[in-house]
Amino acid sequence: MGIAVLLKQVPDTTAKISVSGGRVDESAVSKWSMSPYDEYALESALQLKESGGGDLVAITCGPARAVKMLTDAAAVGADSLIHILVEDLSALDSTQVQAILAAAVAHSGSDIVFCGKQAADTNAGSTGPGVAHLMDASCVTMVSEVTPDGGSLMAMRASPNGNERVSVSAPCVFAFDKGIIELRRPNVRGIMMAKKKVAETLGPADLGVDISTSSVSIVGHTPPPQKPPGQKFEGADSVAAVVSKLRDEANVI
Amino acid sequence: MDVTVIAETSGGGLHPVTAQLVGAAASIGGTPTVLCAGGTGATEAASISGVVKVISVVGDCFETFDSGAWAKALNSVTGGDVIIAAASPSGREIAATMAAIRGIPIVQDATDLAPGISVTRPIYSGKAIETSTVTTPCAITLRANAFESAGEGGSAEVSTVNQSADVAVAVREAIAKASERLDVAEADIIISGGRGMGDPANFSHLNEISDMIGAAVGASRAAVDTWEEIPHGMQVGQTGKTVTPSLYIAVGISGAIQHLAGMRTSKYIVAINKDPDAPIFGVADYGIVATWEAALPALKEELGKL
Amino acid sequence: MAYEALDFYDIDSLLTDEERMVRDMVRDWVDEKILPNIEKACRDGVFPDEWRVDLGEMGILGAPLKGYGCPGLSYIAYGLICQELERGDSGVRSFASVQGSLAMYPIWDFGSEEQKNHYLPKMTTGEWIGCFGLTEPDYGSNPGDMITRAEDKGDHYLLNGAKMWITNGTIADLAVVWAKLDGVIRGFIVEKNDPGFTAPEMTGKHSLKASVTSELVFQDCKIPKDRMLPHVKGLKGPFSCLNNARFGISWGAVGAAQSCFNSAREYALSRIQFDHPIASFQLVQNKLAWMLREITKAQLLAYHLGKKKDEGTWIPEHISLAKMNNVDIALEIARMARDIHGANGILDEYPVMRHMANLESVKTYEGTHDIHNLILGRHITGIQAFTRES
Repeated sequence: MGIAVLLKQVPDTTAKISVSGGRVDESAVSKWSMSPYDEYALESALQLKESGGGDLVAITCGPARAVKMLTDAAAVGADSLIHILVEDLSALDSTQVQAILAAAVAHSGSDIVFCGKQAADTNAGSTGPGVAHLMDASCVTMVSEVTPDGGSLMAMRASPNGNERVSVSAPCVFAFDKGIIELRRPNVRGIMMAKKKVAETLGPADLGVDISTSSVSIVGHTPPPQKPPGQKFEGADSVAAVVSKLRDEANVI
Repeated sequence: MDVTVIAETSGGGLHPVTAQLVGAAASIGGTPTVLCAGGTGATEAASISGVVKVISVVGDCFETFDSGAWAKALNSVTGGDVIIAAASPSGREIAATMAAIRGIPIVQDATDLAPGISVTRPIYSGKAIETSTVTTPCAITLRANAFESAGEGGSAEVSTVNQSADVAVAVREAIAKASERLDVAEADIIISGGRGMGDPANFSHLNEISDMIGAAVGASRAAVDTWEEIPHGMQVGQTGKTVTPSLYIAVGISGAIQHLAGMRTSKYIVAINKDPDAPIFGVADYGIVATWEAALPALKEELGKL
Repeated sequence: MAYEALDFYDIDSLLTDEERMVRDMVRDWVDEKILPNIEKACRDGVFPDEWRVDLGEMGILGAPLKGYGCPGLSYIAYGLICQELERGDSGVRSFASVQGSLAMYPIWDFGSEEQKNHYLPKMTTGEWIGCFGLTEPDYGSNPGDMITRAEDKGDHYLLNGAKMWITNGTIADLAVVWAKLDGVIRGFIVEKNDPGFTAPEMTGKHSLKASVTSELVFQDCKIPKDRMLPHVKGLKGPFSCLNNARFGISWGAVGAAQSCFNSAREYALSRIQFDHPIASFQLVQNKLAWMLREITKAQLLAYHLGKKKDEGTWIPEHISLAKMNNVDIALEIARMARDIHGANGILDEYPVMRHMANLESVKTYEGTHDIHNLILGRHITGIQAFTRES
């Protein structure tokens, strides 16, 4: 069996996002990082690999800068790296992204796929289920841990009442939530080894995916609406009004 | 335009967001058919105004959550130009799988729709808003409370279809929700107490509220330094954790600059303090001038109504 | 907020991927392990053992040394490690400097093959801690007149004397001790259980509080003959070690200064006085601009010196200039940052006063500021001014 982990490079969650000319200005992003949920997917994939699960390939689709993230994955133990070079990911629709990633997984010969439940840029969450369908694989999302279970795999996932352990067989896709597992830190030895692991760079066409026409086109980006100035209320009687504002205006509860 | 709405359920019944999905479908000129997975909520869905048809899809596969199987079963009973679901974890997953089965695009987490179809959604955790157009057929998931609910008073026909699919996921063990508290660094909602809480025992009120809304409980440095019952791990601020939740509720915290440094980038800040001149009100979106003794019971009551 | 290091001239773009990855690894570790715990460590006056384990696991001890299990990184990578560690605390950087440059380096450069194979693999993993004994109570800037003596007793050496201001001394498994044998300075490896050796901790410091500082006392301390470093005689031995440690300090000081600058900038932007953030006032902007200017210059000094170390085109005076300048401006920046923080600057909520107190030590150890001026003075004029005798 082969294990693949799908990674996405996103603006660090603490980075400022600025909009210029109706688009998010990517050149103004101070730091690009591996999407946080993907970090848990990678860690769990590494643990499965170390428990006797074969080679781990790290796959990403994105512009040239994304290679750095693959090297980071190599530094903690990914065996091989595949980079599908797409300069502007946001120009693709979900069917195209999924087709590219599913083809890359097939290209790598993997049948167990780890990914984040959603990427920290669009926070969509379409990739895991979509790739699973294209691979004809089963899909488990909101996963916090995966362990070998005889010939199949046991995943811990969130359920309405807490958590549950579910068993699935390959081919399968695990979409990770923040895990209960501890992320490993790289070390100098791993960083030196990562230098030797060169990513295989492919274009969508090399995988037989046509990206010429997208069903989704971005009209524009805008900064979030300015929050109204702070409002002050007198007395505990105002709690009801504040709670309804939190629900309807702020949309946070 | 035929719109398929995937009913959102909770606790064996229909989730109120379903009426918002129907309302949104109508707003783009759609005629909504509601699909009820496993038949849950079908009768309630039929009474939503504007619904033309409810299909109750029943089958063995709905015993266990397996998005692949559910999507296959639901997908085979309806066509339609647009699939609309809630942007909940299960809604996103089922809609994404149905979109993949149909080979159509999906746009998740919309906060506004316009005919066309124009979709607005927050990206980068709300640090920017994206507007895009998507061609039909397509799937769209909608964020809760962002759309007007359709009214009641509908009387759509309910048909039941027996349709199952192979389930590939076997549940081996259910584990009840751990009572362990969320860490402030991880939580999307935080309720913090300061020295104004008077006594560490009074943090129990914050704990109760946090349980109701899935929040973490934090504290100011003054509280942590004063009471050894309040551990340093709860401290928000310069030498504690720096947090950016969607909602930060500060109770009995005056708002020293060191505390503000750790929480001022929270998306929304509610301050409860009896001193109307407390600096915390300077950063609060909603300030309530009241004692915690008066405000917290009211807060509990109001949150309980949600 | 994620830490964004001041890098006005984009030194980042000059680094190799490997150097950047090592830097980020240490930076993340400092965020995760040092910053949340440093104030407690300072208050308790301890260097937590967990930090030793982590430094070993990351594989950064003895960074530029090659072979014997050592990392074999570039000097620039070593500099970056020091920069990031000292952004956390000078005490943490001191631990790594002493282990790598002062204890491992002399064994690596001057030790026998047996000594290298025995000590270095366990020191690079942090399993064994080393310290470095040169300075004595009465001989600091003038180590050549040291009192500590070694006597050849046929089948062993006998050490007598005392060393002072020894970082890691009390927690060390071994000490590289410089002592005179028949009037010539030689290096000896003393192990913690050798008879006649004790390493009492010095207490009461207002600086480097999370670092262990000790005396080393030798009273008829008996060590086997194979513990002398065979390949060096005279002050060249300890001075080669100091060159490497001072190199690391020149980078470390940049990290401390970046930390102070960051804190001052954030504070100035959020502190409102006279209805405006104090960052909007000209006097504060002047201070911030001065900090940025000096940090940028210090970064360029450190980077170019690193290049010269890696190419082997450096002279000790290059290192003196960088150590002296960078620590000097870091200390001034720490003081200025404390000033910008107003009264809040004296609190342990902010790192500035801790850095300020630490940097007073850093300015003094590894060649005082003034001694480095004299090294440069001798280089410029050809006339030594350390002593009145010619």
